[in-house]
Amino acid sequence: MTPELAAAERPTTAPAAPETFGFLQKPAKELSALSSQQGWSLNEAELAAVQAHFKSQRREPTRAEIETIAQTWSEHCKHKTFTGPIRFTEGKKTRLIKSLFEETIAKATKETSKPWCLSVFKDNAGVVAFGKKWALAYKAETHNHPCAVEPYGGAETGVGGVIRDILGVGLGAKPVLNTDIFCFASPEYAGELPENTLHPKRTLRSVVAGVRDYGNRMGIPTAAGGVFFDDDYRLNPLVFVGTVGVLPTWAVKKEIKAGDLIVAVGGRTGRDGLHGATFSSAALGDDAPSSAVQIGHALNEKKVLDALLRARDLRLYRAVTDCGAGGFSSAIGEMAGDCGGAKVTLENAPLKVSDLTPWEIWLSESQERMVLAVPPKNLKALQEVFSAEGCELAVLGEFTKNGRLVVSHKEEKVVDLDLKFLHKGLPRVERSAVWSQPKAAATKLASGKKLADTLRSCLAHLNVCSREWIIRQYDHEVQGGTVIKPLQGVRHDGPGDACVIWPHAATGDMDDFAGFAVSHGMNPSYGKQDPYRMALACADEALRNLLCVGADISRAAFLDNFCWGSPEDPQQLGALVRAAQGCYDAAKGFGVPFISGKDSFYNQSKDVNGKDLAIPGTLLISALAPVNDVRRSITMDIKNPGNALYLVGETGEELGGSLMAQVHGLSGGVVPEVDVKTAAAGFRGVAAAMAKGLVQSAHDLSEGGLAVAAAEMTFSGEFGACLDLDEIAKSGPIYSNEVLLFSESPSRVLVEVKPEHESAFLKCMKGAVVRRVGATMANPILKVIGLDGLVCLEEPLSALKAAWQNTLPGMLK
Amino acid sequence: MSKGNAYTVEVKLRPDYLDAEGQAALSLLQGLGLNTARDCRTSKLYELRGPINMAHAQLIARDLLCDPVTQEFKLVGPSAPVLNGMNHWRVEVWLKGSVTDPVGDTVRSAVAEMGLPQPDAVRAGVAYHISGKCGRNQLEKLVARGLANPVIHKITITETHP
Repeated sequence: MTPELAAAERPTTAPAAPETFGFLQKPAKELSALSSQQGWSLNEAELAAVQAHFKSQRREPTRAEIETIAQTWSEHCKHKTFTGPIRFTEGKKTRLIKSLFEETIAKATKETSKPWCLSVFKDNAGVVAFGKKWALAYKAETHNHPCAVEPYGGAETGVGGVIRDILGVGLGAKPVLNTDIFCFASPEYAGELPENTLHPKRTLRSVVAGVRDYGNRMGIPTAAGGVFFDDDYRLNPLVFVGTVGVLPTWAVKKEIKAGDLIVAVGGRTGRDGLHGATFSSAALGDDAPSSAVQIGHALNEKKVLDALLRARDLRLYRAVTDCGAGGFSSAIGEMAGDCGGAKVTLENAPLKVSDLTPWEIWLSESQERMVLAVPPKNLKALQEVFSAEGCELAVLGEFTKNGRLVVSHKEEKVVDLDLKFLHKGLPRVERSAVWSQPKAAATKLASGKKLADTLRSCLAHLNVCSREWIIRQYDHEVQGGTVIKPLQGVRHDGPGDACVIWPHAATGDMDDFAGFAVSHGMNPSYGKQDPYRMALACADEALRNLLCVGADISRAAFLDNFCWGSPEDPQQLGALVRAAQGCYDAAKGFGVPFISGKDSFYNQSKDVNGKDLAIPGTLLISALAPVNDVRRSITMDIKNPGNALYLVGETGEELGGSLMAQVHGLSGGVVPEVDVKTAAAGFRGVAAAMAKGLVQSAHDLSEGGLAVAAAEMTFSGEFGACLDLDEIAKSGPIYSNEVLLFSESPSRVLVEVKPEHESAFLKCMKGAVVRRVGATMANPILKVIGLDGLVCLEEPLSALKAAWQNTLPGMLK
Repeated sequence: MSKGNAYTVEVKLRPDYLDAEGQAALSLLQGLGLNTARDCRTSKLYELRGPINMAHAQLIARDLLCDPVTQEFKLVGPSAPVLNGMNHWRVEVWLKGSVTDPVGDTVRSAVAEMGLPQPDAVRAGVAYHISGKCGRNQLEKLVARGLANPVIHKITITETHP
């Protein structure tokens, strides 16, 4: 007999007295033990604060109250590391950072002060204006811990969760694009793994299947993303999922009034995913609970989506938010915080099983649920809209303004908390961070290998090779608005820089050709040597990707996603501070605001030897920019023979953390450094030339430098190219062909221009560094003339493409 | 509420159709080291419980769960394992009872939409029919590593007729 049935038949017991723990009398040590036993993830200072609060109230806290506080104060919900004080020591100087978030990410947004940023950092997603009538909402978040335990369900519910964030932004946006970025160990990882750790190959397959099944069933295209491989992710894979939505500008603001009904819609509440928020705020061990794992139900969420957007357009509710980590406790708790109080009666919640205790109903993380604030007079109309979609709806109480969160189940009062204590009572623990700038590694890197072999190895490297095996599993065409697709070129199998979406399915306007582009920048290899430069390089790469498809980067916006190890380790925290400073300098320098972000800590676990293995500090910068006319957006493949190839930007000897260094196992070298001013001048020039239609194709230079970029452009377009390395603009003396081909100096773009447009193109590029480095040709080869005037590399495109295409299928067959 | 009956419906592709899911499972198992596995075909399992009778179960299987062109179905009972040394294995993978089963839930409401009494619970699972010489323990280990996740799945392995 299934447990559901067993539960359904069990007679419901009379309400017992609320469960307590003798919390007030316990000494600190016992409290800590209790906290870890119950899975609250509260630290000593926090437990002491809770104890002191209830001592002042002269009563024992109930279990539901402690659980509510634990959820609300978790790293997942309160971002303690980013908003708490950090004592930062750099060399001999020490200073106190009051809030890393306020002093870097939020500060950059404030200082760039863009009027088109409609809602930043406060709602479920960042919102920017999109034309006069519409707005774009973008959110990216991680679902790392669940994906490590059950990759398929974890990835599914990750996608489901971020889609609900978009449904819960303002009064709800229609999702028009999903994005996915993963970090895994190599699928061919052959080392030993701890007992309960899944092999990276299994994780990869299942995560891709989860993202595919949820996104495809919801009818949302998954058209932008990336994968980064590094064996240090073997215990803690990273899964970033994002969604872009379109909403009318009138629906950006939400407001809850006292007296509004608390209405839960969507899925039923079960014993799913209890302790998700606190689970994700703890390091992963052998005892990872199966109750923290959930399976998504995409069809339920699709019903919620359809009903919700109809109700929005009928203006039947005043506010909406999603049930994510912490379930009702955090959704209603947050809304109550905005309004000033809430009175909840849990017995009205529709349940999957009848034997749930009140605290389980309150904390359950069952998927596909949303909470609305509904004026009582609209309830009937709302019921009709939701029942037409076969979607359940329940009134769970009402919002008040007495400053208290009161939850009851039948006669029993299970929570009665002061909202001020709940949201502001978190004790701030000062953390210390240390950073010592690595000595400028002046080591010159040289492999001495044949250039052609290096190029083929670079193209075949896991971090460059074709992602077609993954991309083709996703429906990236549904909704019919994917203008620039994830795979490009004459055979639709070349790499793309960014995707361009024309969201007519959401706006219903077939005469307005405005769209938007989404791209990403990530390179943890740089971060291992210099997290500051990594942050700048990520921002630079994300912007260049947008630029290359013809987006308006003067209106670009960034999202930050930090995934780190333990913030209690001063070295790791020091690296995080440096990366955040890099974000600030990049955003300020490029004039691009951050509109939303998320962090995930404790991505570290014990390896087979019992030693802590942390992931490399990982920063993902996602970028979003409008495309004024999607019909003019361009792809990266070479379009015609006989065109000129221009390289924008200077090349320096920057091979630290580069792909070439990884391919040949070299360490040291200088990590690429972004000069924001020069970079911005180059970007402006290219954007101006594109706006005039002077550019045939453009591709950014990232991993593998000029050689990889030129190879990708040529084999995608099936026209050859000849490059002359002597023509490249160099930032210092460089005497090596290998350095010129594989250096990863940032801010560079390779551009194809028709001969008749060359002078006009150069006029646009005034003030920027640009050189004509070669030309395209009909002969399908990539030919490079070295510094000595002799041909140093000549490879047929078919061989290069084969090297690029065979890696993943070979590993995953 | 009446306790009702329980039926398990098994739906599989007709033998002359390529079973892509089975092929993928086979290559996964072989990749994990089960070199002796020769073939693998899959079938979908649905366990229906509640106030339904045999005729209802037949109707549900025929009209709702099975595509009559490419698939065939049968109602299976809980039979004792047949040990015949034929090297044919039946591996069933079900979601644990504590895990939400979206497919089962959808089937449950679809049955009601057919105008039949709604089952109390429907669970969905997969059966892998594997032919090839292998040890039960080895098979169990590889299925847990490649085809199922013991955190959320329960796995049963029986030696069967082909």
